[in-house]
Amino acid sequence: MTTNKIYVFKRFERFWHWSQAMLIIFMLITGFEVHGSYPLFGFAKAVDLHTLSAWTLIGLWVFAIFWHFTTGEWKQYIPTTEKMIAMIRFYSVGIFKGAPHPFRPTTLKKHNPLQRLAYLGVLLLIGPLLWLSGWFYLFYADWQAWGVDNVLSLEWVALFHTAGAFMMLAFLIAHVYLTTTGHTPTSHIRAMLTGWEEVD
Amino acid sequence: MLKVIGGFIGGVLVVAVLGYNFMGNLMFREIRSPFGVEETVARIQQNIQNTGNGWALSGLRNPGKAVENDGGNTLPVMMIEACSTQYSGPILKDDSVRFLSILMPCKISVYKKNDGATYIGMMNAGLMGRMFGPMVGEIMGHVAEDQEKFIQFDPGKPAPAMSKATPGGGAGGSGSGAAGGC
Amino acid sequence: MLSGRKTSLSALASCAMLVAMTAFSAPAPSLAMSAATPQTVTDTRQKSASTADHSKFKELDKPFRTGPEVTEACLICHTEAAKQVQHTKHWTWESVDPKTGQKRGKKNIINNYCTSTVSNEKDCMACHAGYGWKDSSFDFTIEKNVDCLVCHDTTATYRKLPGDAGHPVYERREFPPKSGKFVDPADLKKVAQSIGKPSRSNCGSCHFFGAGANGAKHGDLDSSLQHPGKYLDVHMDEKGLNFACTTCHATSSHQVSGSRYNMAAAAKGPAHIRGNPDSSPAACQSCHGNKPHPQQMAKLNQHTAKIACQTCHIPEYARNDIGTELSWDWSKATRMGEDGKPFVRKDSAGRRAFDSKKGAWVWDSYVIPEYRWFNGVSTYKVIGDKIDPSKTVQINEVGGSPDDPDSRIWPTKVHRGKQPYDTVNNTLTVQHTGGEDDTALWHNYDWQKAIGAGMKAANLPYSGKFDFVSTELTWPITHMVAPKEDALSCAQCHSKDGRLKDIRGVYMPSRDANNLLDRAGWALALLTLIGVLIHGGIRILTSKKEG
Repeated sequence: MTTNKIYVFKRFERFWHWSQAMLIIFMLITGFEVHGSYPLFGFAKAVDLHTLSAWTLIGLWVFAIFWHFTTGEWKQYIPTTEKMIAMIRFYSVGIFKGAPHPFRPTTLKKHNPLQRLAYLGVLLLIGPLLWLSGWFYLFYADWQAWGVDNVLSLEWVALFHTAGAFMMLAFLIAHVYLTTTGHTPTSHIRAMLTGWEEVD
Repeated sequence: MLKVIGGFIGGVLVVAVLGYNFMGNLMFREIRSPFGVEETVARIQQNIQNTGNGWALSGLRNPGKAVENDGGNTLPVMMIEACSTQYSGPILKDDSVRFLSILMPCKISVYKKNDGATYIGMMNAGLMGRMFGPMVGEIMGHVAEDQEKFIQFDPGKPAPAMSKATPGGGAGGSGSGAAGGC
Repeated sequence: MLSGRKTSLSALASCAMLVAMTAFSAPAPSLAMSAATPQTVTDTRQKSASTADHSKFKELDKPFRTGPEVTEACLICHTEAAKQVQHTKHWTWESVDPKTGQKRGKKNIINNYCTSTVSNEKDCMACHAGYGWKDSSFDFTIEKNVDCLVCHDTTATYRKLPGDAGHPVYERREFPPKSGKFVDPADLKKVAQSIGKPSRSNCGSCHFFGAGANGAKHGDLDSSLQHPGKYLDVHMDEKGLNFACTTCHATSSHQVSGSRYNMAAAAKGPAHIRGNPDSSPAACQSCHGNKPHPQQMAKLNQHTAKIACQTCHIPEYARNDIGTELSWDWSKATRMGEDGKPFVRKDSAGRRAFDSKKGAWVWDSYVIPEYRWFNGVSTYKVIGDKIDPSKTVQINEVGGSPDDPDSRIWPTKVHRGKQPYDTVNNTLTVQHTGGEDDTALWHNYDWQKAIGAGMKAANLPYSGKFDFVSTELTWPITHMVAPKEDALSCAQCHSKDGRLKDIRGVYMPSRDANNLLDRAGWALALLTLIGVLIHGGIRILTSKKEG
């Protein structure tokens, strides 16, 4: 059995992924401090860092959205049922028996069907939930000018924002673990670092 | 063998780290006062003067005043300084422990915190003393016993006046300490 | 097709950038501080900026025996001055609530300090800007009874004492009685010839000593403001900006702006131009605007929608050894010493703690305020109002709520008292306290007689039965503004047990959290973790078996 390598993640994609990963982890850390879960940086510092990371992430996303659509990479997230059952069987049974990975990434289809679904969930549910609630959180003082002060309450905005954060945290834990389920435990991570994925 | 030595060193390190972290709490105490700042100070001053054993007030410092003079604010802090020649004498006569004069005079700090309550901060004289041999240990043990009396309050008694001036001195400071008998 | 999408997407991206950039660049209030460069105003007393030297006026170059004589001389030139003063609260001791029409002011309310001026005018009117208000027969139209000097004296020799119904000391007198201290009469001619604009000491001669002792009443006003350091008040700092009271309480036609009775609790918009008739010159915002912090602290500017400036910038009040009274218990009055004689006692800091005449007090310094939603309007208990003695009586109901756009969270001083009330009519009583007559409480130590005389003077029915009721008086704190370095830090409120722990109606990150969501969220994260650990564990086990 020979090991093949294919080029899956382009330079910008890898930069986007890792900088986003760091920002999200940092925002979880600072965010839960602002939430009052633990003391770390001190409330004021945590708020500053959280806000700064948010703006950085917004900037990053503006580029990422632009990149995804101009390169057509956005299609990677269109959900599909193809091999879905096979993937579920693999994660729940096959992986323990050393069965081969049912999905073979290519440059055009780099995510397996469960990944597609999970990332789409992050992009369409957790992401917007955090973005939208975070945006209103940040511009709390302008609600009156925007005419939304009678519709929104900070309590609910904070509730949704926190809920999004918890979902993101759960995603992060699962995501980090699932990176070890590739051809070898490190092949996914190596792919995200170098761009080249080892496949069977 | 290597594991045993490694384990031993590890254990020592853990104890050292723990000790380092708890040292502050062991060396100093903080208790909540049922009275306001001035009344707490006044009652402690009164207790000191009633304790005997050579205790005398040697000063009342207000470190907050210096901050105020610099244009800043602090919540009130008052440092009561007291001294007993009976205890300070033997230590000051012994060259090997004379450096402990930096702990003199005996200080009790009374301050307000952001919860609006008044607190008393003091040194754990008994524990501190034991680190410097039997003579100092014994003396500091007595100091600790007396310190306990300083913070026993009888709410039934009316509030005494706070004595800002100390015998022979102004409002605290080294000069008044000297005049206070130490 | 693709290029069309590209165009629309890049447009979207640039829009997002634009939004992000505009958010950073809200207009900054540049006017605020630069206009107020410190000027050398420290020597106004020595060198008046006035165009008139009153010592050269022949009208004033004669001996004056009484206050009204001086006023008559003033009115020769200042023809409208007395009429103006007679329209102010300093003269009428009355303030009408513009919304409810309720008549308040010292003439009408009962507070929980000295309680009421009625029947005690001879004492209380030492702080009236007039002469001769000794009972309800006082004629408010007589111009020569306006007291010009108490506000305009610059010699600091003009003193008005209790018992004289507002007249200054005309004969050398021992004061306080049996104290061994004597007050000399002022040379009224000299006082009249050296008048000037009111200084902090002029205003302070009454406002620092309310309730009969230095600092007792307000807490944020006491004699330490005569010569304040920067730490105590960043604006009045004698070596710095050296504001007079009237720098903020800008005055026109003798109407002093910025009354506690009708406060601008939520001034909005940028800094005002002086003279703008709608502005409230005494509000912080009138100079600083409502976005006073630099742009890198934009988050703080957002707080102005809910929080008064004072809340953060006056972290504690009575920041000195003088302190302020926190409670006054009248029920302990008339208690005698073991020898059966009236006695007085001081607290550890030397402040009045008990007096057989007046009862018991509790004082404190560096007081941490209590915080309330406040919209600037308080409803007061006025003489004759019914009370519910089963509850703590609110001397004033502080208006405002979290849902009211004109309300802000304010620091307040709450003064707690116990004072007499008529147990049958359920009204707070008016008592005759000061004076040398037989019915005066401080002379005869007889509550029954004192209340009887007071109620009669107030034209109120009195059942003859009285008891003591707990009361609270809540006043906004607005003086003793600390330097910016000493403002509250974020975490002093944004924490579980912070300064605003009792404030409802606003969500504060770090203080508030939905427990259900928190539990569910951490459970989700934990279960995910456990799930992947089990999954990974099985993988390791099975791979070892195979290996």
